[in-house]
Amino acid sequence: MTGVSLKNVKKTYGATPVIHGVDIEIDKGEFVVFVGPSGCGKSTLLRMIAGLEEISSGDVFIGDRRVNDVDPSNRGVAMVFQTYALYPHMTVDQNMGFGLRMNGMPKAEVAQRVMQAAKILQIEELLDRKPRQLSGGQRQRVAIGRAIVRNPQVFLFDEPLSNLDAELRVATRLEIAKLHQQLAGSTMIYVTHDQVEAMTLANKIVVLRKGRVEQIGPPMELYDNPANMFVAGFIGSPRMNLITTGKGDGAGRAFPDGSALTLGGEAAGRAATLGVRADQITLVAPGAGAFDGRVSVVERLGDSEFVYVETGWGQELVVRVEGGTNTPVGHAVGLSLTGRTHFFDAEGQALSGVAVSAV
Amino acid sequence: MAHESQALRQPLTSPRLRRWIVSVVLAAICCVWIYPLLWMVSASFKSNAMIFANEGLIPSQPTVENYVKAWDQANIGAYFFNTLFVTVGSVIIVTIASAMMGYVLGRRRFPGRALIFGLIIFTLFVPQGYTIIPVFDLLTRLGIGQSLWGVMLATSGGSFVIFVLLFAGYFSQMPNELEEAAKMDGVGFVKTFWYVMLPLSKPIVVTVVVMQTLYAWNDFLLPLVITLANPAIRTLSVGVYAFRGENFVDWGGMTAASTITIVPVVILFLFLQRYFIDGLAGAVKG
Repeated sequence: MTGVSLKNVKKTYGATPVIHGVDIEIDKGEFVVFVGPSGCGKSTLLRMIAGLEEISSGDVFIGDRRVNDVDPSNRGVAMVFQTYALYPHMTVDQNMGFGLRMNGMPKAEVAQRVMQAAKILQIEELLDRKPRQLSGGQRQRVAIGRAIVRNPQVFLFDEPLSNLDAELRVATRLEIAKLHQQLAGSTMIYVTHDQVEAMTLANKIVVLRKGRVEQIGPPMELYDNPANMFVAGFIGSPRMNLITTGKGDGAGRAFPDGSALTLGGEAAGRAATLGVRADQITLVAPGAGAFDGRVSVVERLGDSEFVYVETGWGQELVVRVEGGTNTPVGHAVGLSLTGRTHFFDAEGQALSGVAVSAV
Repeated sequence: MAHESQALRQPLTSPRLRRWIVSVVLAAICCVWIYPLLWMVSASFKSNAMIFANEGLIPSQPTVENYVKAWDQANIGAYFFNTLFVTVGSVIIVTIASAMMGYVLGRRRFPGRALIFGLIIFTLFVPQGYTIIPVFDLLTRLGIGQSLWGVMLATSGGSFVIFVLLFAGYFSQMPNELEEAAKMDGVGFVKTFWYVMLPLSKPIVVTVVVMQTLYAWNDFLLPLVITLANPAIRTLSVGVYAFRGENFVDWGGMTAASTITIVPVVILFLFLQRYFIDGLAGAVKG
């Protein structure tokens, strides 16, 4: 059975289209993350699933039911807002049970459901407090609790961590992942602009840009086989190094500084951009790699170091090396492309079957 | 050099002294301000003969005779309850109605909204005197031209527009997410207003309650016109006016009745002043 299904969903504000026909299939129990830069339409898409935004055209299915014209509260979804949207004048207990009470559920049952959710989130001792007496992380839990008590088929999270500080964000991220395991079988759709959240939480990532889906797939699929330059640059930290290769006929190419590079397969005879991740480049002695450069900055992270190397043509490439390597700044180095490389055509689409002769 | 500049920067008076001077000046202004009120309270404890005997504010032979006379003979007791009825009723009507209207105008976008705003603001510029005859006519046609219900309903119209604008301004600043969260919870429009939005607008509710109470309690012209033919349903402000005879003014009775009139308002303000000031400050901030 399908959890959520979007078929050619479009959204226009007046004459301005913001979502250009999106198709997404989400299986029951999946954790799907919509990720993209701000203004890409990810929140709009989530709100369309929630029923808070009208669907201009196309269909949204939850389960087997078309929900385009179904009231938000009858779609079997619950939403956690970025600003938490807790009712300031109600206690935690009242906040969580408000919807159930208003819909005529008996008091005892409301209390039982609230207590159950409070136990899952470990906020039993906060039930009598007002939102203003809670920390950001606690408020976030209450907001999640308010979603849990409704027992929804689908949880919708709209950038739930962006109001938290860095440390709390990591901790809450972990809790959301645990929650997904605990509430086995419930589908979660999560919107974020942070690709780290997307990579760490998702079973499936949907990368959006300007109202269009760029790529859908499991996190490592997107990391290893980005469909285009946008996904390649967006997914993964640090960003993938993208090098525009020099013009040439047939297989003959060159790096911008003239170092030899031969490309075969689809890339033969086409303008191409070479993409290589920081951990797929090795620092070697000058002259021993594909091209040379000079170390400009070293970022030490403990277990690893990011070495920024300025190439002969002025581009800064990042290379990941073992921690404690202590590469001196200003040092001349050679760069060897030992690992996996990616190629993109002039339109930014990934090319397959490219053989590379550079070392 | 350093010493010199430091000396220059020294103010002529110490902060403590300055505070004293400011306090004394303000106290003097305050005395002038409240003198009429004190005179009224003082006069209410004097006989009519003593009031103009020029003996100062503290009565030499204080008497409560004026109060007894006002409460019993001049019907101030009955007028007090009339006024209470009109005030409480109009406060309930005005608070609920203006909050509802303010909510819709502040948070919903619908065709003709700007026109409605324009029209209701326009009514602010129509003086009360011009609307009294039509209002009286309307009440007569509704069959409540000679009853306290009529006074209550008519009094509810007084500052209604200002309260609608206060509520509309306040509600328009509330985050959308609150309404959306209620929507996701399956809570309808009316319940969202009643259980989420109205409790959150407490500062404005208190402001409206205080202002409408003052208005209804002190309103004179409208109750005067409506109760002209029916002295039994007079309110306090009209009742106080009745101490003015054609040839004689009973100053003692009038000041006693006036004192009785202001006591509830003063008590109300003492209790609610904090919220009241918050509400006005909040409205101005927006």
